[in-house]
Amino acid sequence: MRVTLISIPVQDQEKALKFYTEKLGFIKKRDTPLEGGNRWLTVISKEAQDGPELLLEPAPIHFEPSKVFQEALMEAGIPYTQFDVDNVDSEYDRLLKKGVEFSVKPTKMGTVKFAIFNDTCGNNIQIVEML
Amino acid sequence: MTFYETEIKRIRNICYSNNKQIETVIATRNYIDNNFETEINLDFLSLIHFTSKYHLLRLFKKYYGLTPRQYLMDKRIEKSKELLKEGMTVTQTCFSVGFESLGSFSTLFKTKTGKSPTKFQKEQLSRSQLS
Repeated sequence: MRVTLISIPVQDQEKALKFYTEKLGFIKKRDTPLEGGNRWLTVISKEAQDGPELLLEPAPIHFEPSKVFQEALMEAGIPYTQFDVDNVDSEYDRLLKKGVEFSVKPTKMGTVKFAIFNDTCGNNIQIVEML
Repeated sequence: MTFYETEIKRIRNICYSNNKQIETVIATRNYIDNNFETEINLDFLSLIHFTSKYHLLRLFKKYYGLTPRQYLMDKRIEKSKELLKEGMTVTQTCFSVGFESLGSFSTLFKTKTGKSPTKFQKEQLSRSQLS
């Protein structure tokens, strides 16, 4: 067994694709039409293209518990997932300039530094740098 | 302050309050990052931090979840992937990242990535020609 996919629930796939590619810098990998306007939509990291694909999944629109869960995480400030970066400070500056909103500024915690932004699709996302 | 931030603060006070330890493991990790191609000398590192070698090993594992040796091996494999992508030969790559035998490098590379260095390189190079 291999881990090749992780999924993120998004409220709007097209908006998510724009945010994850244009703001964050991911690359679109697969975009397959499914029924009802839904898509099997994945993006990959530009720097690690052989890494897992990130599935932008429209679960909150179709499955109420997913929506409830997503909203509860958002409310509590809990990141849905996290991405590794080489430098949290420079990534924070880069994303701020692109209009990305952060709920937590770069913060040191032991052997990591992290920050949290809003992906505009219903999730808090954490970026982490290992110190 | 969100639930997440409150929890992070609480956990930081419990798990990451010993700054001296944190400084020591961060310095150790930086040392490994900057010297991964050499024979890493933990005796030297423990001397400059006035700790015993075994204490240093335990601390590193406590904060990073990996032993320094596991971390070093990951670092070398990660670096070797970069060099192979750039077109360096397998043998040259093996020695540039600090392995002493081609056999141990190839075996570990295959365990970590699922492919032999030769196969990995062929795939990467054909991929870069396509794009």
